[in-house]
Amino acid sequence: MAGFDELKSYVDIAIDYSKDKVEGVIARGFMSSGSQIRFSQNAIDIGKRWDEVRLELFMIIEGTQTGYSERSVTSEEDAKQAVKDTIAFSKKLPESMFFAGVEEDTHSYRDLKGAYDEKIDDFTEKAPGFVNAAIDAAVSEGAKRVAGALKFSKELSFFKSSYGPQGSKKMTEYDLNVRAFQDELDYSGQGLECGTKPNQDEKGMVAAGAKAGRLSKQAIGAVQGDPGTYDLILSPTVGANVLGSIPDAANPFAILIGLSPLGDKMGEQIGPDFLSVTDNPWIPNGLACASFDFEGTPTQQTEIIKDGVLRSFVHNTTTAKMYETSSTGSSRMLGLGEGLKMLLPNSSNMVFENGNHSFEELIENSKPTIYVTSNWYTRYQNYQTGEFSTIPRDAMFLIENGEMKPIKNLRISDNTLRMFANIDALGNDRKQVYWWEVEIPTFMPTIRVSDCRMTAATQ
Amino acid sequence: MKDGKDLAEYCIEYGRSLGGDYVEARFVKQITRGLAYRNGEPVSGGMQPTTGIGVRILVDGNMGFGSFDRLEKTIAEETINAAFKMAKAAKRKDKIDLGEPVSNKAKWSVDLKQRLANVDLDTLMATATEMNEKMQGLAQYTMLFNPYEIDKFLVTSEGTEIDAFTSYIRIFLLLTAKGKTGSEQRMIDMTQCGGWERIKEGRVIENVEDEVDRLKKTAEKAEKVESLMDQPIDMIVGPEVAGIIAHENVGHPSEGDRIMGREGAQAGESFWRDLKLGESRVGSDAVTVSEDPTIPNTGGFYLYDDEGVKSRKRVLIKSGIINEPLLNREFGVKFGMESNGSSRSVAYNREPLIRMANTYFEPGDHSFDELVEDIKLGVYMRSFMEWNIDDRRYQSKYSGAESYLIKDGEITDIMVRRPVLETTSVGLLSAVDAVTKNLRFDFPGTCGKSDPMQGVPVYAGGGDIRFRGIRLGGVG
Repeated sequence: MAGFDELKSYVDIAIDYSKDKVEGVIARGFMSSGSQIRFSQNAIDIGKRWDEVRLELFMIIEGTQTGYSERSVTSEEDAKQAVKDTIAFSKKLPESMFFAGVEEDTHSYRDLKGAYDEKIDDFTEKAPGFVNAAIDAAVSEGAKRVAGALKFSKELSFFKSSYGPQGSKKMTEYDLNVRAFQDELDYSGQGLECGTKPNQDEKGMVAAGAKAGRLSKQAIGAVQGDPGTYDLILSPTVGANVLGSIPDAANPFAILIGLSPLGDKMGEQIGPDFLSVTDNPWIPNGLACASFDFEGTPTQQTEIIKDGVLRSFVHNTTTAKMYETSSTGSSRMLGLGEGLKMLLPNSSNMVFENGNHSFEELIENSKPTIYVTSNWYTRYQNYQTGEFSTIPRDAMFLIENGEMKPIKNLRISDNTLRMFANIDALGNDRKQVYWWEVEIPTFMPTIRVSDCRMTAATQ
Repeated sequence: MKDGKDLAEYCIEYGRSLGGDYVEARFVKQITRGLAYRNGEPVSGGMQPTTGIGVRILVDGNMGFGSFDRLEKTIAEETINAAFKMAKAAKRKDKIDLGEPVSNKAKWSVDLKQRLANVDLDTLMATATEMNEKMQGLAQYTMLFNPYEIDKFLVTSEGTEIDAFTSYIRIFLLLTAKGKTGSEQRMIDMTQCGGWERIKEGRVIENVEDEVDRLKKTAEKAEKVESLMDQPIDMIVGPEVAGIIAHENVGHPSEGDRIMGREGAQAGESFWRDLKLGESRVGSDAVTVSEDPTIPNTGGFYLYDDEGVKSRKRVLIKSGIINEPLLNREFGVKFGMESNGSSRSVAYNREPLIRMANTYFEPGDHSFDELVEDIKLGVYMRSFMEWNIDDRRYQSKYSGAESYLIKDGEITDIMVRRPVLETTSVGLLSAVDAVTKNLRFDFPGTCGKSDPMQGVPVYAGGGDIRFRGIRLGGVG
C-alpha cells in the first residue's frame, strides 16, 4: 500500500498544478483498506479484502462553475492527469445554482481521540475467531442457524484547499450484523455491534451473537399478529431507521428536492418536550466522527431538535449562505447515482438523548403494545408528508400483562412525523446503530411510540 | 485495456502458485459522467473513471476475494495473498464446490450504434435540458443523468476468457406534483442499455412528458374511494406493476443463495426453501414468470455471466408451479443442477452473486378490453409508488400511483387515490386469472442485494394482469 507521504504528495501536486488554472480547488486523497467476513449456516462463506488509493477533486473554475472527479492514483503523473481531465470536463459545465462558495479561512482542528485502532492490521488474524465466537454465542442461546457479516476497515486521508485549509485524518471502524434462525424461516433474531476499535470489542460482538440467538429462540411459536392500532416499542435498530429519518431530514438539500418533511417546520414542536437530538461529530466511538468537513470548516455539535422543537439544519458554506446562517461544518461529497458526487451538507453521527426508563418500565403499559426488534424495506408514499411503511423482521412480540408473546407478519404503515410527535418514553439503553437500513450512524435508545398503525396481508 | 488484462492473467498465475484450486480475475474499466439538475437548473456535474481487478480464489473448498485499483504487480500479489489467507482461515467443513470446469472463450457487447464515449458534454446537456423542459409545472423535480460504459475482462484458471462491453444511460427522476388532494411523489427510473441512440429509440423524452402529465393528473384528481374497502374487488395492474411483482414476489425468492440461506443476514431467505421444484403450486395456471438476460437493450442484458457461464432464459414459475431457481456455479452444485448463468458483479471490487436480469410475466392471450369487460367493481393500477416485501419474499405491499375505478366493465374517469395491494405472494399469484398479450418492460430499476450493497441494473415487466377477489389493504 502507498504510504501517507505519497498520498500527501498527490494532493499537494493536484493543488499546485491547478492553482493557476482555476479559481479554487479542494483535493482529498485517501487510502483505504477494508475486509469482510460473511457467514451463513454457521460457517464462513467468504473472506474479502479491498484496497484503494484515490484522489477526489472539487474544482471551482470561476464563480459558480464547478466540477468533481474521483479516480485511483499511483503516480504524480496520475494526479496531474486527474487535474487536467477535471478542468477540461468542468469548463464545459454550466454554472451551478447550488454553489455559493467554500470555506476560505484556515483553522486548527481538534484532536479526535479514539477514532483509530493502532492494531487494526492485526485484526485480520483475529477476525475469524471473533466471528466464530459470535456464532457460538448465538447457538448456545438456542439458535440453530447463524448468518452475518463482520466488516472492518481503515482509512488515512489528507485534504488541502487552495483557499488555505488543510488537514489529515486516520479512522478505523467495524460493524457486525448477526442473524440467528431456528430451523424454521419464521423464527429469527438479530444482533448488531459497531464502533471504531474492533480489537477491543470481542465482548460486544459475542453479545450481539448471543442476543440474536436469544431472540430467535424467543420467537419460536410466533403467531399471525392482528392488524390495528398499538403502542410500539421500537428497539434502537428500528428507531434509528424510522424515527432517525426525521433529524436526518433536517437538511436543506433534502428539502429543496422534496425528500424532507421539515421544510416548513423550523421552530415548531415536532416531538415531545423530553426529546433532544444532536448531530455530533465528536461522540466517542461514532463511525462518522470528524474534526473538519470536506471544505475544511471545523465540525461542531449541532442541536437539531431541542426539547422537541426543530432548532437547526445541517449546513455547508453554500446552504448556510442560502439560509443566512453559518456552516455547521457538515460539508461532504455525497454520491448521487452512478459516478457522480456533489458538495452537499450531510449529518455526521445522529445522537438521540438517552432516556431514563428501563425496558421493564417501557413495557408496563395499559394499552395494546408491540415490541419490534428489527425492520427493513422502509419505503415512502410521500417524503414531504411522511406516509411510509416498513416491515418488522426477526422477533416481534405482543406485550400482554408484562408478558412477551411472539407474533409475526405485520407491517408498520404510518407517518414518520406523526410517530415522532407520538414518542412517549425513552429507554436508558442508548447504543450506536449502523447497518443496511441505517446509513447515518445513529445513537438511539429503545423508544415507545403511542398509537401506531399495524397492517397485514389481506390474503 | 492491455495492461489490465495482462495483470488479470498474472493474478491467475500467482493465485495458482499459492495453491488456489480455482482462481478467477475480473479486470473492469468504467467511465462515468454525471449531471444533476434540480427544477431544471444544473446543480452538479462530475466524472469518474474507475479501473480495478477483483480476484476470487478457492482454497480447499474455502473462498477468498480481493480487489485493488492500482494496476501494479506487487499490489496484485499483496491482495491475492490476503484473499488466500482469508480463504484458508474460513476452515469450512462443508467445502465449496464449483462443479464441472467452465472454459468459455467469447467476446460480446451490448447492441449499440453510437458509443456514449463519443457523445460530447454539450449534447448530453442539451438532452437533459429537453427532459427538464418536459417536467416544468411540477412543484419539484430532480434529475440524475449518468451515461457510462464498462469494459470487462474475465479470466479463470479453468481457461475461461470473456471480453465484455456494456453501456448504460442511467436516468433517475424524483418528481413532486401538487394538486387538489395534496402532493404526490414518484421516483422513476428510465435507464437505457445501449448507445446514445437509446434516447430516441427508447422514447425517453416522450416518456418523461407522459409520466409527468400522469403524475400531475393523479395529484389533481385522485380521490379516496372508500366503497372499495367494503368487499373483495377485481384488480388489473399494468406492465409496470406486473414487473415489480415479477421481480419481488417471484424473482427474489427464486435466488438459489437465498433459498440455501447465504443471504440470511442481509437480503434474507426465501419461502421457496420449503417448497418442491416442479411440484409446489404458488400461483394459478395463468402465471408463468420468466427471467431472461438475453433480451437486447435491457438493463439485465448479458451473454456470459460473471463466472463465464453462457446466459439463457430461465422459467421460474410455469403455469403456477415453481420450476427453476436462479443459480450460479456454487449453488448449481448444491441444488444438484448446474449454473444457469445468474452470476453478476456490479464492480471490480464486488464478488459475483446470484442476481436477476430481466424478470417478467409471460404474455397470456387476452386483450386489455377483455380483462376489463367482465369486472363489475375494481381498480386498474397502472403504476405504483411505495412498495415493500418481507425478507422471505412472502408478504408484499404495493401502493397505487395512477389508478382508476373500474365499474360495470369500463374504466371510469374516477381516479382512486393510493389503493393498497397488501397480500402474500401465494395469495397474490393465486388470484391471477388472465394476462394480456402485450409484453412490455415498463419497470427499469436497480436491484439491491448483499453487503456491501450491489445495485445492478435490471428490467421487469409483463402484460396487464387481472386479479380476482382482492381485498384492498387501504385507499386514500
